[in-house]
Amino acid sequence: MKAPHTLRSATMAMGFILAAWSAGTQARDQLYGALDNTALLACETLHWSGKQSEADTCYRGLLAATTPTAIRAEAAWALGDMQGANAAFQAAVEQAPDSALVRLRWGELYMQTYQYQDAYGLFSEALERDPTNAFAHIGAAQALAQGSNSEEVNQHMAVVMEDFTSAPGARLRGLLMMVRSSLEKDQYQKARAFLDDAKALADANHFLPLEAYALEAALAFMTHQPYQQYIDAALALNPAYGDAWAIPGYFAMITRRYRESGDFYEKAVAAQPNHWEAHLELGQNYLRLNQVNPAREHINISYTGDAFNPKTINFLRLLDHFVQDMEALSYPNPPQGAFPKLTLRLAKKETPILADYARQLAEQSIDLYTKRYRFTPKEPIVVEIYPNHEDFVVRSIGMPGVGILGVTFGYLFSMDSPTAQHDPSYHWGTTLWHEMAHVFTLEASGHLVPRWFSEGVSVFEEWRTGPIPGRKIPLPVFKAMAEGKFLPIAQLDDGFMHPSYENQVIVSYMQAGLIFDYIDSEYGFDKVVDMVYRFKEGDNAVNAMETVLGISASEFDKRFKQFIDIEYGPLLSKLGVWQQDHKASFAALQDENWQDAIAAAERATFSYPDYVEIDSPYIAMARAYARLDDRDNEFKTLETFWKKGGYEPRALLTLGNHYAERNQNDDALKVYRDVLWANPFMEELHLRLGNLYLAMNRPQDALKEYHVLLALNPADKAEANLKLATAYKATGDTAKAMEYLMTTLDIAPQYRDAQKLLLELSRGGNN
Amino acid sequence: MSPRRHLRTVLSCSAAALALVPVLSQAALYVTVIQGLGGQSEYERQFTDSRSKIEAASLTITDADKLFSFSGDAATREAILAHFKTLTARMNSDDRAAIYLVGHGSFDGDTYKFNIPGVDLTAADFKTVLDALPGRNHFLVNTSSTSGALVQALLGTDEKASNPNYVIIAATRNGIERNATQFGRFFAEALSSASADTNKNQSVSIQEAFDYAQRAVEAYFKDAGRLATEHAQLRGDGAAQFNLSRLNTLQIAAELSVADNELRTLLEQRQAINGKIEDLQLRRAELDNATYLQQLQTLILQTAQLTEQIDALQKNASNSNSNSNTDASTAPAAEGARQQ
Repeated sequence: MKAPHTLRSATMAMGFILAAWSAGTQARDQLYGALDNTALLACETLHWSGKQSEADTCYRGLLAATTPTAIRAEAAWALGDMQGANAAFQAAVEQAPDSALVRLRWGELYMQTYQYQDAYGLFSEALERDPTNAFAHIGAAQALAQGSNSEEVNQHMAVVMEDFTSAPGARLRGLLMMVRSSLEKDQYQKARAFLDDAKALADANHFLPLEAYALEAALAFMTHQPYQQYIDAALALNPAYGDAWAIPGYFAMITRRYRESGDFYEKAVAAQPNHWEAHLELGQNYLRLNQVNPAREHINISYTGDAFNPKTINFLRLLDHFVQDMEALSYPNPPQGAFPKLTLRLAKKETPILADYARQLAEQSIDLYTKRYRFTPKEPIVVEIYPNHEDFVVRSIGMPGVGILGVTFGYLFSMDSPTAQHDPSYHWGTTLWHEMAHVFTLEASGHLVPRWFSEGVSVFEEWRTGPIPGRKIPLPVFKAMAEGKFLPIAQLDDGFMHPSYENQVIVSYMQAGLIFDYIDSEYGFDKVVDMVYRFKEGDNAVNAMETVLGISASEFDKRFKQFIDIEYGPLLSKLGVWQQDHKASFAALQDENWQDAIAAAERATFSYPDYVEIDSPYIAMARAYARLDDRDNEFKTLETFWKKGGYEPRALLTLGNHYAERNQNDDALKVYRDVLWANPFMEELHLRLGNLYLAMNRPQDALKEYHVLLALNPADKAEANLKLATAYKATGDTAKAMEYLMTTLDIAPQYRDAQKLLLELSRGGNN
Repeated sequence: MSPRRHLRTVLSCSAAALALVPVLSQAALYVTVIQGLGGQSEYERQFTDSRSKIEAASLTITDADKLFSFSGDAATREAILAHFKTLTARMNSDDRAAIYLVGHGSFDGDTYKFNIPGVDLTAADFKTVLDALPGRNHFLVNTSSTSGALVQALLGTDEKASNPNYVIIAATRNGIERNATQFGRFFAEALSSASADTNKNQSVSIQEAFDYAQRAVEAYFKDAGRLATEHAQLRGDGAAQFNLSRLNTLQIAAELSVADNELRTLLEQRQAINGKIEDLQLRRAELDNATYLQQLQTLILQTAQLTEQIDALQKNASNSNSNSNTDASTAPAAEGARQQ
């Protein structure tokens, strides 16, 4: 049994977009009977049959002053004049303050300009005037769906869907929303049923079933069925209906099939060049595939047509940042085969510090996973590391403010640099290791691996082969375990995609990781890999498990529960006591009661010896021993902490220093190198590592560390330069040694140690 | 040898030591340390500790009769202002003053106050004190909360403004940063810290102490996972040349304790070369890099060789002292043995 984890993994995510009703169809929707103005409907007919030029002429005809203001607003909107439409709706509301309809349509305009709060306000005002207005309820549901209040969404939906006398157009929109929602949850049977209802309703009311066809194509795509016929059917009705492609493109994107998604969006913008949302999605998709120039091209096009979309602005800023502040380094350089194995995209200011370590870890993981997953990468693997968390999040999902640490798109993943995170438990080495495992499970399965499976394998690899091996399970997971909240594997994706309680995502990560720990121990790791390849053949998780393991999903769930009971039953029974002792150890430390802190920490580590997170009782114990000047016990405590997988950088640095003082250089080296994967931005670490390498007669390695030290802009630049001079001298490069020595003496002319080295070099000494 | 005896030795030599350090240090340095009210025992302890460190560090660079300290009930506005009046009269235009304020401050949006028993010291009081000091090489560090308001009161709101007569440091950016500060304890710590001495001249300058404390504050908030509630500032020129403490007092004492003409000559020669190095560095912009480095290397080689000779002479002197001490210390034992 290994130690709990903080919530680190909870926030690691693959390329999933948080569900949004509007995705893929931000353009003006069909009216579906919401309005009955004959002149406007004539224009609408032209527009939705793909006769755009005639439609535009028709809409322009409605801009005359004699046209009712609300209809003028619709015409301006249809012509892309959002500000004009807004002004006209405002005037229309002033003319007809009691009209629910005008407010409803104005709300729809706000939906299209991504101002969901304002849109919701207008829908609410419409409902105050007409509480049964079905279109307003659907609009309110769509606006609320942009947030996280699913209860209110459902309330608005229920008003419309449970009343069969509601306006058929509103019911149709509701049904189409439900199809999307079902598809997003992989609930294909439900989607099928809603889609059938939608088509019947459209047919009965003579609505153009354009969106229904597009969703039919998406359903077929998701279930590995032929889909082209549905797209063709939509295009037969309206050849310029870009959503016929964009809607399946959206579902390809949320299921991480980015190449297919890109193809769909390419066709969407070919069919409808003014589909700004599709241009944006296409641009974002190019970025996922590491094609920056076409990405910029399509994002620019999107911006010229739709300057309201905050995602577009975010991406344009990010692209500027790409060019100005980041650089790409490929390894090996030149490539030994058709392409380099690895490309790092780093912030220029962090390259001197991170590049070498990131390369080591990435190459190590690539080599290992290539063997473990029987898969040789077909493209360079691109690793992007961002010093600014929000840049990373925008790069990953388009909008800031989301607590993720790493996102994998296939052969490319992006992640936070250690400098991007204020959370002291952030371990960038583990994040890189986790994401790299995604690269292999995604690509080996043709991007068909289920979410829970890929996450579980990545967590398992963290524990089994990562830079800090050992299970890291946070406290909330044990609580969920004790309360029997683990999900059957057939439903485990819901724990990631549609969590129903706080911490369910992290619980799901840990459950998934434990599942592979169990499969590995019971059936062998090869079976895990066999399942990955079953997904490529189109199996779902249940089928893959039955085929490869030879047991049903329910039988697996039963056996897994037994495994958990055996592994964690004893701990769960004394979890409360452990928590009390853990808390008491730090409370005593705070009160400077060193002996009490040690006693409480000893009790805590006795009942749960493997808890080695940054608030581990071992840390409290080691600090208390340090305050008592009991260096021997401090050392022993820290050594236990490290050997159990503890990674708190300052604690490990102290342990490394203990080892170095005891002349246990090999152990000191291992510990210091472990600190690199947690926080390579510590000056002292590189000074100590450099000194250690010099003591071990490895001056080339010492040089690397001293160069990193200097790149960190240390307070003591004289010392850093002198260290470099000393290391260069040890390599026999006296010219370089003299160069750094003179830099040292320029900073600190009276620096005795530097003066001594100058005398030595000037006398031709080499000792 | 007890630390106390070390200190006495240094003090007895310090006046002579001043002759061997760079030009600025030749003027007398008057240090005033004012410890304000802590309010809570935790802060009282912290302020007392900081004051003690500042006093000890100051005694490495000035004489005891030029160090003035106010704390507890004695730290009244009346007494402090009277002290500065006397000090101003005593100083000449070559002398320098260093003023340390250790404690809490307050700012009501209009007036900055340094909190002491009784009536507080105000920004106006400090302005009067600083304006009255003769000469133009003075220093004030205010480690209190809201201390940025004192800087604004003295120099205005222009963040680049300074006064040619003094360097001033505040622990906070302005009067809005009201939390108790961390800066002061790190600044006090810097004065005796070798790692603060980044130019390795065995002295800690205002700039070095400021840089050390500023980094330590940043690390403190980062380690605590908290947003920094203080942002220190330094205004004025010459902070890198104004030393606040020395780290090698024993060495200086040892050098001076050897009344050896040869040694003294070497020390003077080295001081002269160090002066040339300073001069060369000031003229750096006039030279191309290769010439500069060549000249620098030549001068440093000279000073390094002199240091080698000085070390050898001192070692010899030390050995002979040690031998005579050994003789002296063994004599009584022998005598004792004889008695037995």
